[in-house]
Amino acid sequence: MNSSQLDTISVKTSDNVTLGYSVAGLGSRLVAQILDNLVALPITLVAILLYGALASVFVTSAEGTGFADAGAGFFAGFVYFGYFFVAEVVTGGKTPGKAAMGLRVIRVDGSAADFGALAVRNVLRIVDVGVVLIGIVIMFFQPQTRRLGDLGAGTIVVRDRAMVSLAAAVAPPPVILRTPDAGPPIDGLDHIGGVERDALRVFLSRPGLSPKLRADLATDIAGRLLDRLGLPPGAPERLWPPELFIERAYLQLDQRHQ
Amino acid sequence: MSLDAFIAERQGRWGALEAAIKTAKRGRLRNQSASDIERFGLLLRQTSSDLAIARRDHPDAPITEYLNTLCARAHPLLYRGRAWRIGAIAPFFATALPRSFRAAWPYIVTSLGLTLIGFIAGWLAVDLRPDLRASLVPPSLFDEMARGQIGSGVQDAPFAAAFIIQNNIRVALICFAGGMLLGIPTAFVLLTNGWMLGTVAAAVRLGGYDFQFWSLIVPHGVLELSVIVISGGTGLMLGDAILRPGQLRRGEALARVAVRAVLLALGAATLLIIAGTLEAFVSPSSLPGGAKLAIGAGVGVLLYSWLILAGRAPRRPRGFTFDRPAETPA
Repeated sequence: MNSSQLDTISVKTSDNVTLGYSVAGLGSRLVAQILDNLVALPITLVAILLYGALASVFVTSAEGTGFADAGAGFFAGFVYFGYFFVAEVVTGGKTPGKAAMGLRVIRVDGSAADFGALAVRNVLRIVDVGVVLIGIVIMFFQPQTRRLGDLGAGTIVVRDRAMVSLAAAVAPPPVILRTPDAGPPIDGLDHIGGVERDALRVFLSRPGLSPKLRADLATDIAGRLLDRLGLPPGAPERLWPPELFIERAYLQLDQRHQ
Repeated sequence: MSLDAFIAERQGRWGALEAAIKTAKRGRLRNQSASDIERFGLLLRQTSSDLAIARRDHPDAPITEYLNTLCARAHPLLYRGRAWRIGAIAPFFATALPRSFRAAWPYIVTSLGLTLIGFIAGWLAVDLRPDLRASLVPPSLFDEMARGQIGSGVQDAPFAAAFIIQNNIRVALICFAGGMLLGIPTAFVLLTNGWMLGTVAAAVRLGGYDFQFWSLIVPHGVLELSVIVISGGTGLMLGDAILRPGQLRRGEALARVAVRAVLLALGAATLLIIAGTLEAFVSPSSLPGGAKLAIGAGVGVLLYSWLILAGRAPRRPRGFTFDRPAETPA
């Protein structure tokens, strides 16, 4: 993860290891919001109907009706905003809409959002939604797509990345075709390290490339590697076929690292 | 170490951490035994160090991304603030709320000042231009007072209480949330609130209904006004953190005060339930005016002794104590 990318944040943990989180974008935030509305609005509607039913049973005077009517709007807002608050507190920062979009609220230091932080971001939701959707405008301009509530609470919404399975993360093994062993030691391999070895490995793990493409790639890679090693023009390694050179160089690097 | 050897040697604990993450319920490890959580911490630290090694040696390998995802998922399970529990409510009201009230005193005093400015302005407006009285104060209030109707009891008091409570909670939340807009809405609400009270107070004075009016306002007003002033203070806290962040970045300064401010505002807002109940049941009741004023005064004394005295650290006894061994140089 490159911390200079805008859509990721780097969090330095107490173990002094940097974790990369990818920040949820405006689009997925809004879709999550719409999905949550599909849950919250029916709940609000049912609550209002119940409120109305209660009021019609218990209210006896015109004055009482006035109070009940005036209170309905607040009650609706209370239920609507309460849905988000309760859902985030109960699930630890994943309302059903966020869960569906694979999003999660965390604090900017990477720890889980606690009750206080969730209280701030949900009370300030009233500002974000209430003041002509100022939250969306701020999220649009804020590099980490945080709304006012996030800024106040010190929280950020990140993508809960799908867990890549270990099997998929393990690169396929290299296939050695041309050399029975590592061959004579190559001078200058000390100059290069793991990055080059991994690059050679990726090449060697793809024996299925078309022979023409593979030969071209091998020539290119071997040429760059020979230059990097600083071998003199008459060095015997320059006379090896490129693919043989790549295999031997890889095996020697691999041995050295073991 | 080669990538393959690295993976082969350490994938056991990655798999174990992955399995442990799956046992977490609703983003928490609460249901697990102490030894399981200890083991989780060990696995996370080991995997974090594997991630650091993978970053250095194999920055572009897929395994690095895998380890980052694994750690990023596990980290918030272990590192988190104090969990919310029902049992935390009592200590919150007993100590945390009065303490944050006292800590926020400059803002609360400012908030009170704004209310007073509004009050005085409103009072002067009615005093200087009595002819404007009708446009500043709802005339129906005078009609009712003249007919002795006010204070004759409200029907459907529970609904009146609910309405009053929600209205005040809304005002309190606007006061708090207005802090995010630099406190401008907060100041506006406080000034208007003071203005309304000031105009009405001056008008009833002109009309000679002082006693009826105050006996109608005071029982609940003490609490209500206090809560509005406190929420105004929390809003001013937020606005101040944004305007004058000091050495911090604005976002950090804001986040630092916001949690304290919101808990103070929410805690104070719960008092409005008491205030609204008094307003619907006691204030308009047929109790004698003196009793109503006494109730208001009693509520005020209780409120402020709680806010000012509760949750103080026990004072250390002055003078010589044997707390530290005598031979230790001071």
